[in-house]
Parts: sequence; structure tokens; C-alpha cells
Amino acid sequence: MSGLRLTEGSRGLAASVAVEGAPLTRTQVPYVTGSSVLGMKCADGVVIACDTMASYGTLARFKSLSRMHQVSPNCILGVGGDYSDFQQLQTMVDAEMTAQYVANDGLTLSPKAIHSFLARHMYHRRCKVDPLWNTVIVAGFDKGEGVLSLVDLFGTAFSSDVLATGFGLHLGLPLLRNAHRPDITVAEAKGVLEDILKVLFYRDARTNDVVQLASVTAAGVEIGKMTKLKTEWGYKSFVEGARVGDDSSW
Amino acid sequence: MTSIGTGYDLSTTTYSPDGRVFQIEYAQKAIENSGTAIGVSCKDGVVMAVEKVVVSKMLVPGTMRRAHLVDHHSGVVISGLISDGRQLATRARDECSSYKSVYDSPIPGHVLAERLANFAHVYTLYAYVRPFGCAALLGAHDDINGYQLYLVEPSGVSYRYFGAAVGKGKQAAKTALEKLDFKTLTCREAVKELAKIIVDVHDETKDKLYELEMCWVCEESKNKSQLVPQDLVDEARKAAEAAQDDDSDMDDDE
Amino acid sequence: MFRNQYDTDITTYSPQGRLHQVEYAMEAVKQGSASVGVRSKTHVVLATLKRFASELSGDQKKLFAIDDHVVIAISGLTADARVLSRYMRTETQHHKFMYDEPMPVGRLVLQVADKCQISTQRASKRPFGVGLLVAGVDENGPHLYQTCPSGNYFEYLAMAIGARSQSAKTYLERTYTTLAEAGVEELIQSAVTALRETVASSKDTELTTKNTAIAIVGTDGSGMRVLENAAVQPYIDALDAASPASDDEEEDGDGDNAAAAPAAAAPDAAAGEAAPAADAPAEGPADMQT
Repeated sequence: MSGLRLTEGSRGLAASVAVEGAPLTRTQVPYVTGSSVLGMKCADGVVIACDTMASYGTLARFKSLSRMHQVSPNCILGVGGDYSDFQQLQTMVDAEMTAQYVANDGLTLSPKAIHSFLARHMYHRRCKVDPLWNTVIVAGFDKGEGVLSLVDLFGTAFSSDVLATGFGLHLGLPLLRNAHRPDITVAEAKGVLEDILKVLFYRDARTNDVVQLASVTAAGVEIGKMTKLKTEWGYKSFVEGARVGDDSSW
Repeated sequence: MTSIGTGYDLSTTTYSPDGRVFQIEYAQKAIENSGTAIGVSCKDGVVMAVEKVVVSKMLVPGTMRRAHLVDHHSGVVISGLISDGRQLATRARDECSSYKSVYDSPIPGHVLAERLANFAHVYTLYAYVRPFGCAALLGAHDDINGYQLYLVEPSGVSYRYFGAAVGKGKQAAKTALEKLDFKTLTCREAVKELAKIIVDVHDETKDKLYELEMCWVCEESKNKSQLVPQDLVDEARKAAEAAQDDDSDMDDDE
Repeated sequence: MFRNQYDTDITTYSPQGRLHQVEYAMEAVKQGSASVGVRSKTHVVLATLKRFASELSGDQKKLFAIDDHVVIAISGLTADARVLSRYMRTETQHHKFMYDEPMPVGRLVLQVADKCQISTQRASKRPFGVGLLVAGVDENGPHLYQTCPSGNYFEYLAMAIGARSQSAKTYLERTYTTLAEAGVEELIQSAVTALRETVASSKDTELTTKNTAIAIVGTDGSGMRVLENAAVQPYIDALDAASPASDDEEEDGDGDNAAAAPAAAAPDAAAGEAAPAADAPAEGPADMQT
């Protein structure tokens, strides 16, 4: 018998390859990864932001990849984690939206439904121990209100006023919480998110300084161009580094 | 040779002594009993129209769809058994999405037509299924081949057309289609021409109420398949009916 | 009894392009007792006539709740209806699980109709011998659909199926235009009145609290509710107050055969299936059918 065989079974498993005698294994580490996505719900919509780097391990492999995907006229995704899994997600979501289009009955999926759809798929894959290695932020605007929800590779799904993925979960989320007010506007929030991206660029080695912001409002989805952050490297602590005996870095 | 009573016409797996498969011909009969469907491939797009006989005035307008979108760039219009037609449309959708997932580009019209014809053909081969009682006009657009119109028949053949007609009034409709100049005709004009043809071939004495349903893929729709906006269809139909009234008035005068 | 050699096999077309087995399945719907559906801008109401297999038995089910927002009334083979209703329940639950939203009614009906079509094209299964009236609400408002064994489905403003449904249809065709603006009570009353038309010519049947069941679905978020037994009384009382229907009903005289055949077959004529001629079966409660 040859050492490699295609596994039997249902569609999704067909491509999995197992070594004879060894247990079947699937994705155990992500390869090309995107880092942070930030999201904030505002009085008049939702804003999300990401940088545009995709790392291969610690190598800054790609530096102008969009990690946003428009799903419908009032819904977008911002995705962190494995980039090829993100591409797979796009294919899947696009196929679903095509099915909605051809039904041609005046109905489509709301941002809430899209979030649920993603959550079901992510949980399904995790139960097959073959997860799509992503954290997905769903941003939408429906019935006069912003929608901001998250799904991760385990299928954990929830909504919140502020959301972050990747390194942003550690460094960005407290800043987002501080900045958030129920009456904050989209325009204001864009400034806040850009500032936080700057902090992330300073501190997270998997983040670059070319970023993309997107908003979803009553007017629809607006995905901004990739722009370069204005950064300042002259801060004293940046230049001088840590003091002797200080446990912190800089 | 006559078919009835010979016993050679009871199954698709039976040839008659002179080499015909009568069950396929009977399936085509089912289409000939149904509302006329016509399509044109013209200068800036494909337009298809179908006459939907309305069985009750209590129906909600627009129900009993005969025009189905199958992908962003293609649609089918069904003549014959509506429920069989939905099965074809569903299969077309599956083919579109599987092509997309393999090649990451929209399925070209001729590929879709061939796959759909293959699907229909399978139903002519076995005794435990019957052929489809419907024909599908297929309109599609792709960047290489431009606008395409195909007719897929229950026998499993499909041909590309400039103008095609199936259903009750197909003979008269074909004659009318032959008078059109497909090279210069625009979709806007085609909507009016198709409405006129449907209005003309419609048999008022047999089916009183009918709806006109149209589907197009054209420059105006940004190469997306969609139902032709209802106001355009209504306007075209009204104009066609007015023209018909004028004609009959003239006939009366003579 | 056999009409011709083309009518015993699902996969055989007649020389005219008709499918007799499918047409016969359509006849099974007419064997069942009547179901009526009406729709306003805010509500859908179903009214059904329940039959009893015997004096000592309970009634056979006519209404099946599918989800909070969908309910069906059935005419034809009850056992087949149960298969379809279980399918519909599964599908609505699946939709809710997948999208966290109630399933649009039209999408549900489309799936049921597609399921029905499959068994009209394969020799291995007979077509479903049941017609459904599906009442439901979704984002686009209230909907009333009819599905057929042939795999056809239609959206209606008002419709009746089952035995002697032609009388109810005749009544509805006269009144349906006024229903769009009707209130719930008025809507229920017109459904019951239409239902009464199906028993108006019968000497031994009349609408009672025992044999009448009503279902209501509204867009006000109140979900679906069913009225049975005592709850039906007011609507039956109101019928008696109004003039008896048989007074103005000319085509009721000879039972359902003459009246029901052309119209009940009409939906399929649209799909190219010509109406079956006479042999509409004799009226009478068959145990399998409600």
C-alpha cells in the first residue's frame, strides 16, 4: 500500500491527506497570517480598520493585502488570521450571496444573518477539527442601526460596541473601550481607529503602516483606499530605549 | 408511422422500428401546450420573454415564475412544465457555482448550455425517469463570447440562436423574429418587439388572462441578469396591445 | 376503469404530452375535505373542514404548525401531508439555525414544490397526493401559497382546495378584492363563510365547532394561533345570522363533480398539463383523506 491515501467520506474531507497508520491531522498552524482588525459601533454606523500586512511566520511576506471583503450593499467583513482560509471564506460567502441574488425574491441576507451563517460554518469546521483559522469581524448597517459582530475559529460568536482581533485584542481593545461613546460619529471613530492602528504599528511586529478603513452607514459600505500612517519615531523612549534595571521594554 | 397503440411509445428506452424515440417527442408536446417563450440575442444584450397564462384572478401578480436567474451573468426562461423548469434552473445554478469554484470565473454561455443539455439528455436514457417536459431559453454574457442565447431542449440538444421561440405560438413567433435585424436591434427595442410578438401570438380565445415576464442580460443591466423592470414591460405590452387594436380596427374598416 | 395505456406510469407521457399519473395525484387533493385561505395586508387566515373517520373517532388533522410564522392546511392524503410537514419543519428550523432569522415563506414553499416535482419524474416514487395551503409572514408581509402534487406552486390573495372547493372559490372570487383592507375578525369570518360554501349543498354536513378549525398568522409579531372548538363558535353563529349561502349559489346543486373538475385542474393547465376530463371520484369520506 502506498504511504499516502485520500481519505474517504464527505466532500469537505476529500482533500485531507493522511499518512498510513498515523492519525489523521488537519490544519494545526496558520501559515500566511493577517493580524489586527479593529471595529467600533457608532451612532450613525460602524467603522472597521485593518493594516495590510500578511506575515509568513515572522517574515513580513505581503505588505499590501486587503483584509476586508464586501459581502452585500450593507455588510463587510474584516478578517484576521490565515490568509488562504480568508480567501476560502470569501469564496463561500460569495457563493451564498449569489444564491441569494438568483433567488430574485426581493430578499437577501441581513448582516445579522451573515454573522450567523459564518458562525455556523466556523463552528462546523471546528467540530471537524479542521477550522478555518480566522477571526472575522462582521460590520453592517441594518434597520437604522449599526451591526458589529465577531466569529472566531472555534465558532465563538458575539456582538459588541467595540471589537478587535489579533494583537489588537491586547493593545487595541482597551483603547477602543476608552474611546467609545454611544454618540460617537463615524468620522470621529475613523480618527480613533487610525490612532490605535498607529499604536499597533509601533508595538506589533506583524503589523505594517499601510492601513485601510471602512465604514458602513445608511449610505452603504465605503471601503477606503490603503493609506500610509504618519508615524513619529523621535520619541525619547524610542530613541534611548529601556533604562538599565527597568523591566519594561521601551 | 403512427405511434399510438403500437407499444413503441411507452418508454424512453424503446425505439420504434423506424428509429424514433416517441417519449421524447411527447415531452416536446408538453412544451407545445405551454405559453410561448421567445428570446433574441441582439446588439447590446440578450432579452427573453415568456407568456404566462394566469389561471386565476386571485393570483398574486408575479407568481408562477418562468424566468429564473441562474448566476449574476445568466438567466433561463422556461416554456413547458413550470416545475420541471425549476429543476433545470436549479441544475444550471449548480453548474454555475461549481464552474466558479473550479475556475474562479463565470461559466461561459456555451459551457453552461452544453452542461444543461447533458443533464436533460440523461433523462432520455433510462426507463425509471422521464424526459423534461420543458425547454429552457438561456441567456448569458461573458467577456470572451459576449452575449449568447441558447435553447436547451428535453432531447438533450442545444443550439445557439439569434432569435428562438418555443411553446404554443412558436411558429408565428419564429416568422416574426425572422423579420428583425439582430445586428442593429438594441435591448430597449427588443423589449418592445418581444412584447409585440407575444401579444400577437397570444390566443385570446383560449387563455384570457396572461402575464408577460421578461429577463435580460445587457449593457443597460451592467451585464447582470435581471428581470426587465416591470414598468418597461408594462409599457411595451401596452404599446403592443394598442398597436394590435389599431390593426384590428383597420381590418374592421376594410 | 383504465382510460388508456399511458396512465399507469409516472415516467410515461401521453401522446398529447400529458402526465396522467400526476393528474391523478391532483385528483387525490380533491378527495380530501376543503381548506380555505384568505389574506389581507396584515394577516393570513386558514379555515378547514375536519372529517371524522367514524362517530367514535377523533378528527383527522387538517392544520399543521410549521414554525412560529408558518402554518399549513392540507387536503388530500394525510399521511403524505405529514411527510411534507415534517420536511417543512426541518427546513424552517434549519434556516433559523443557519441564519438566526425565520425562513421566508416563499423560499420554504419553493423547496416543498421542488421536492414534490422530484417524485413526478421518477418511477421509484409516486407523487405526493396532497395539496397544501401555506400561510405565513415574513419581511415582505403576509403570504398565502398553494402547492400541488405536480410540483407547481402559486401565491394567492385567496384560495380554496379540496372537495367542493369550487363553491368556495366562486365565493372568494366575488369578495377577495375587499379583503386587502379587512381586519382580522372580518378576515376570519370571510374564510369561514367561504368554507361553509363547500358544505352548503350537503344535507348531512354543516359547519360546527367540532369540524371547523381556523389558523391565523399576522405581521404584528404575535405569531401563529389556531382556533378550535368553542373558540370557533362566534364565527359559526355569525354565519347563521347571515342568509344561508345556498340561496345564491347556483352551481351547488349537483355536488362537486361538475363544478370542481375544470377549475381545480386549471392550475396545471398553465403548466401545459391539460385538465383531466370527467372521472372525478364520488364524494364521501375516505379514511385516508382529510
